[in-house]
Amino acid sequence: MNKELEHSFVELLEKHQNIVHKVCRLYTNNYDAHNDLFQEITIQLWKAYPKFRGDAKFSTWMYRVGLNTAITLYRKSKRIINTQGFEQVQFKIKAEDYDDTEEQQLKLLYKAVHQLNDIEKALVFLYLEDKNYREISETMGISEVNARVKMNRVKTKLRTILNP
Amino acid sequence: MDELELLKKDWKKKDQDYPKLSYNEIYKMILKKSSSIVKWIFIISLLEFVFWSVISFALKDSKFVEQAKDLNMNNILIPITIISYAILIYFFYLFYKNYRNIISTDTTKRLMENILKTRRTVKYYVYFNLVALVVSTIIGVFYSFNNDTNVSLQLEQASANGEVFKVYALFIAVTILLLAVVIGVLLLFYWLVYGILLKRLNKNYRELKKLEV
Repeated sequence: MNKELEHSFVELLEKHQNIVHKVCRLYTNNYDAHNDLFQEITIQLWKAYPKFRGDAKFSTWMYRVGLNTAITLYRKSKRIINTQGFEQVQFKIKAEDYDDTEEQQLKLLYKAVHQLNDIEKALVFLYLEDKNYREISETMGISEVNARVKMNRVKTKLRTILNP
Repeated sequence: MDELELLKKDWKKKDQDYPKLSYNEIYKMILKKSSSIVKWIFIISLLEFVFWSVISFALKDSKFVEQAKDLNMNNILIPITIISYAILIYFFYLFYKNYRNIISTDTTKRLMENILKTRRTVKYYVYFNLVALVVSTIIGVFYSFNNDTNVSLQLEQASANGEVFKVYALFIAVTILLLAVVIGVLLLFYWLVYGILLKRLNKNYRELKKLEV
């Protein structure tokens, strides 16, 4: 029975692993940290899996556990905090290099998203994943109105970071 | 174009760029141990329960209790012991109940609240013990003033020399100082341990709460 459970879980996660990778991408900024968080989310998913009855879609359920782990449960190890993120390095762009191409704008956008706090990142993530405000509110445990208001504030904040 | 729309377009385009872990790589991961803060809070809380239980056990066989017996304090000590065990069990029951409620599939807010609740239960237990420590010290001091032959002898001597106030003051000052040091060290320890452990959680919880104002 346990083997069966393991097998079905690993298969499902293998299929939907992109969701976890995306969470890691937003919440970490280097390879080691990415793997570390991926590992912890996997463990949390596995621990919760016996309670997964298929009443929610596995992927929907992954968003919750993934974000909860990144925001609340995960403890960064020291080793990881001190390493400089590759994205930070990659996005160190001098003002004179800036040309208004979409590519450059995107790089700056990703950099700006990394500067948001954990809760704001979660909102952005769910938005990028095409979740509507009802789903966002159900994942985070805040009201739809608050999710909407906060989302607008995040957009303003991103604009401010991009055009100081 | 809206910044986030631009980002979304690119985000979807990059969907194929992520690493692909194999079945075996994922399988290996589920065999590893979690290092989440919940686990740490659980371990530290258990240690706290053990710490305070050991202290009360140790005190039971100590000189202090022998002395207390001599001072006819048994009528107070026995009910206090029973009550403190009942309270320990009650706190532990609450803690365990809260711990069982921590489920990663809850909403982010509920999850945070449940974690903070387990932490709060242990905090109250610690406060309870500190208050008990202060109260029992006060009772102890009071009893020794009244019943301890050694102390009353000293007091008699002091009053003969006209220094009775000085002895009282010294006695009380030393007691207060000792209590303050013990409590200070304990609180600093808790503050450090939980401060480090819950820094991020507290920050994120505040952010989430801010949305509701």
